[in-house]
Amino acid sequence: MKSTESGREENSRGVRGWLNPYHYNLERWAYVFQRVTGVAILLYVLGHLGDTSFFVGGPTGAGPSESSWKFISGIVENSFGHLILVLVALVVFFHGMNGIRLILAELGIGIRKPSAIEYPYEPKSLRSFQRYLVWVAIAVAIAAAACAWLILFG
Amino acid sequence: MLVQYATAVAAVVLVSIHLLMQGVVTPYATAISYGNILSIYRNGIYAVFLELLLVVVLVHGFNGVRIILHEWKQSAPWSSWVDAGTVIAIVASVGYGTRTLILAVFGG
Repeated sequence: MKSTESGREENSRGVRGWLNPYHYNLERWAYVFQRVTGVAILLYVLGHLGDTSFFVGGPTGAGPSESSWKFISGIVENSFGHLILVLVALVVFFHGMNGIRLILAELGIGIRKPSAIEYPYEPKSLRSFQRYLVWVAIAVAIAAAACAWLILFG
Repeated sequence: MLVQYATAVAAVVLVSIHLLMQGVVTPYATAISYGNILSIYRNGIYAVFLELLLVVVLVHGFNGVRIILHEWKQSAPWSSWVDAGTVIAIVASVGYGTRTLILAVFGG
């Protein structure tokens, strides 16, 4: 960690501070992305409910309709739609794996004994296993997006 | 949070099955064809599975938004509106999805 010869300089980063990923620790970024991906997935799911409802003719339909299904397939089954699906895969798998990490944390798995609070305040309780799981979540997300790419574009 | 954890565990299982069925077990191009979808909707077990997936994912999602909104502001009116809005959103979206499912199985 940086030393603070002049405490005032370290604290007055302003908006530039937002752009510095080292401003927050990895767990904080995982928390931010868990929430951001959660909202993104919710929006995708609502859209998915909408487009799959065209199987039965949309909001005004009455039953399975091949013409209505072809209509919506024309709109969503193209390169742009498939790109969205790859992003959805990335986001869903990160959210899921990080969520599993959080459930394990809630159960105390991977959390070590806390240590005395000394500068630079790195929490011994959250190092090792829980830390690895954040990287595992990121790796699984990238792998899943790669699989989705192969299925949709390969 | 208990609701989140319970629905999360269920969602991990159900979403994995859904993704495997749609892209891996059945090749994607066949999986999204009209005939294939009609036959799987009309398979009783898969229809129940889809309904379960719908409820679990939407409860998890809207409850998550509710948690975020509660952390943002705390006041009695805000809390009531957020809770009411969450219930309405869940009922409305689960209702719409169930309508699609029922029409696909019994309609036409």
